[in-house]
Amino acid sequence: MLIQIRDMQRVYQVGEELVRALNGVDLDIAQNEYVAIMGPSGSGKSTLMNILGCLDTPTAGSYRLKGNEIEKLSDDELARIRNQEIGFVFQTFNLLPRADALHNVELPLVYAGMRHEERRKRAREALELVGLGDRMKHRPNELSGGQRQRVAIARALVNHPSIILADEPTGNLDSQTGAEIMAAFERIWTQGNTVILVTHEPDIAAHANRVVRMRDGKIESDVQNAVRVSAGA
Amino acid sequence: MNLRESSGIALGAIRANKLRSFLTLLGTIIGVASVIAVVSFVEGLNRFVSDKLIQAGSNTFVLDKWGFITSQEAYEEAQKNPDVTADDADILRLGVKSAALVIAQANSRETVRFRQQRVNGADIRGRSPGYEIIDDLTIADGRHLSEIDDQRRRTVAVIGPEVSDDLFPGLDPIGRSVRVGEQTFEVVGVTARKGKLLGQSQDRFVVIPIRTFVKFKRERGSIEVAIKSVDQASLPTAQQEVRNIMRGRRHLAPGKPDNFAITTADTWLEFYNNLTGGIFVVSIGVAAISLLVGGIVIMNIMLVSVTERTREIGIRKALGARRKDILVQFLTESTTLSLAGGLLGITLGVGLALLVGAVSPLPAAVSLPAVFMGIAMSCLIGIFFGSYPAWRAARLDPIEALRYE
Repeated sequence: MLIQIRDMQRVYQVGEELVRALNGVDLDIAQNEYVAIMGPSGSGKSTLMNILGCLDTPTAGSYRLKGNEIEKLSDDELARIRNQEIGFVFQTFNLLPRADALHNVELPLVYAGMRHEERRKRAREALELVGLGDRMKHRPNELSGGQRQRVAIARALVNHPSIILADEPTGNLDSQTGAEIMAAFERIWTQGNTVILVTHEPDIAAHANRVVRMRDGKIESDVQNAVRVSAGA
Repeated sequence: MNLRESSGIALGAIRANKLRSFLTLLGTIIGVASVIAVVSFVEGLNRFVSDKLIQAGSNTFVLDKWGFITSQEAYEEAQKNPDVTADDADILRLGVKSAALVIAQANSRETVRFRQQRVNGADIRGRSPGYEIIDDLTIADGRHLSEIDDQRRRTVAVIGPEVSDDLFPGLDPIGRSVRVGEQTFEVVGVTARKGKLLGQSQDRFVVIPIRTFVKFKRERGSIEVAIKSVDQASLPTAQQEVRNIMRGRRHLAPGKPDNFAITTADTWLEFYNNLTGGIFVVSIGVAAISLLVGGIVIMNIMLVSVTERTREIGIRKALGARRKDILVQFLTESTTLSLAGGLLGITLGVGLALLVGAVSPLPAAVSLPAVFMGIAMSCLIGIFFGSYPAWRAARLDPIEALRYE
């Protein structure tokens, strides 16, 4: 099993009050699944997303990612897991504004300690894969929303991570561009990658082969979409 | 992440905020520039002084009534000493075995006239024969003063080339009469030109026999005796001999203090070193304060930079940057910033030193150690004042940082 979550709790202190963002979550995700996590705001889906992405650690319970006991890792070890195993795609793209597309895609490889020439080559390949081979020297503000999100996807893929974690990836895009981005995820999934998508739009969630609904820090339902099977599975 | 990466990021950030970076660096620039300028001046002055002054007065010391007076008390005490006379000089000339030369000398300032021409405030030197060696004078025209001139208290003079130029434009000065104060002197020689020392002309003087000088100028005044020892090694022996002879002449009982003073070039050098040392300490202090202020400004701007780039830090952390990577990135940035300031400061300081050296008599020598010190200092400022902002950046929580608007 790629991801194994057992009785996960995440409690925040907000002023005097304790907020139970996650209140006993059990979740297993296998290699090459395409999972959509849905739920209203405050349901705990963002918290789950942060913990899955190793940006946060649970208050209680266990999270195993490829056999690593995440809750026991130090900050630097978490940084290494984020670098090697996770590819993030954010709603607001989160590209470095002053760096060109190529440099943005290179960034995870910089922190992986890869040599300059190798890095360049890999970043170029990743950008060509998302159809931006002719936009490498453009800065984010010289690119359209869809192009920016494709740069972000290239960046998420460049390190060949175990999971692609996408948080409302089409939230800032028009429906036409959104559809293009979803097609890109489709391709990534069919090539054998694991994709986890956080969204509140049923249309977007319909692309996944499994939909996990959350409410009040718990999993409300977990439904397989039997019709959709990855070609790589 | 290596240094090349982080310095690239740092230079990018500086380039993105050119004006802000420059203003931030002003403190560092001024601090480093003043250190470089001051060190260059003092260095240049030192080299100059040791080259010229010490060389001229090598193996030479002076016996006089006063010594090296630096306070009112010392002055009042020295006033009680008996006068040193030309006779003392004669006795010493005979008695001091390790002396190569003993010269009686006295100085004043007076106006020198020839017909309608005048030279104001000329350096009037009373000298006994042999003065040309200690004063380092060579004759260009005519002759030097002789033993007979001194013994007979003749009213003859050797003049410097500047006095000659001003009084006798287009005329041959030899054999002509000049008035020094109230007396008339016959010019018997003109010396060769020496040029300027620290902006002062060395050619604006009149030399007359010491006994003539005493007769007209200081009926009961005290003179100086300059003694040049045979060599460097015999300098202390010569001083001891002079002391013994003077104490004997004045019947000083053992245990009583000297009632005369012996001053060596070392005395002057020590005073000079104290003086420039003082300038040095004060200037370095001022520079240190501006560097401190410069460092605080850098820290402030780095804190602003960290806040502005919170989201960038969040992105970098999400992509796998460790605390160390962020720390190194911001430290490199502050160090690059302050190093840029240091380099600009060095350029400015060297330029300033060279400029002043070119337009004024003050010499300037650019000191390489000072340049390296400037570089090292600006790096240290960047690291020291950059470490708190960098630490703040490194410990940012990635989720909070990503959410930052």
